Amino acid sequence: MTGTIRPGFIDEDRYDRSRRIAWLDVERVRRTKCLVVGVGALGNEVVKDLVLSGIQDITIVDMDQVVRSNLNRCVFFREGDAERSLAKVDVVAQRAMELAPDVRINSIEGKVEDIATEELVRFDVIFGCLDNIAARLHLNAQAGHVKVPYIDGGTDGFRGKVQVVLPPATPCLQCAMNQSHQRILERRFSCTGAEVVVHERKIAAEITTSSIIAAIQVREALKVISGRSEACIRHVEYYDGYQVRSECYELELDPDCPNHG
Amino acid sequence: MNVRIRNAETGGTVDMELEGENTVQEIIQGASAFWNKDDGAYVIRKGKRLLRGQQSVAQSGIADSDELELIPDPEGGA
Repeated sequence: MTGTIRPGFIDEDRYDRSRRIAWLDVERVRRTKCLVVGVGALGNEVVKDLVLSGIQDITIVDMDQVVRSNLNRCVFFREGDAERSLAKVDVVAQRAMELAPDVRINSIEGKVEDIATEELVRFDVIFGCLDNIAARLHLNAQAGHVKVPYIDGGTDGFRGKVQVVLPPATPCLQCAMNQSHQRILERRFSCTGAEVVVHERKIAAEITTSSIIAAIQVREALKVISGRSEACIRHVEYYDGYQVRSECYELELDPDCPNHG
Repeated sequence: MNVRIRNAETGGTVDMELEGENTVQEIIQGASAFWNKDDGAYVIRKGKRLLRGQQSVAQSGIADSDELELIPDPEGGA
């Protein structure tokens, strides 16, 4: 092999160290289009990891504004953002683009339900970084319908979980639901179907668990993007940071699940 | 049959008497009530397998003297 090099050339390539991972398809990663729904604790970390990994086309969705209680776990938010009640999507888009000038971030200030199913077809991977079961189930069903891989994260204090859904082959979030999830949904919705958030408990959250769960979500996405789905979590990984436990458990497809009809 | 339920959060255990027609979600309800769990969601695992709530004890392959674990299913992320 011949060619011309100069001292220090190795450190001129932003992705040189990533390219040293044999299975990681950096060029494919750079061409990937990702949707991140929810840019709170998990969403901040997922976007940060996607941008640093080389993803250049990211759409983010969130309906909330930055508040001071977000600041214990959201790397992109500042005191001034909370004081000015800035939209989370605007702040994340601006700060994430500072990390990598070639990244394009399309921000949508709204609810997950505002995204038309047909719009999801353009994405290669969808991330659920949400804080409630209803929104998760909606996104899970939409992603399943258009057969786009869906990677869901959830946290509660020092506990977390990641589920990888590769439609139509693997069980989805709906397949794992039981009456304890149903009770939470029933508290959130009235009998007419209207949302009545009257009893929404504040869920414990801190940065170490948020960053670990988000990192697992992005790690699994990099496998999917690089054509290494066989190495992905089968099917749910539960993490307990207090007891220092992390284990994967298998799920069965629910034959009655509406997403697998 | 009798099974032992382990509380993933505390390591505590309780024995539960079951019939073949009991469901996994009845096990979840019983165990979470015993430990005065909050309003969150829970799942049950047997070995490396998460059990589906709608399945009966017989359908899910639960046998006498099995140990199951009650795991909180985290809902947060914002």
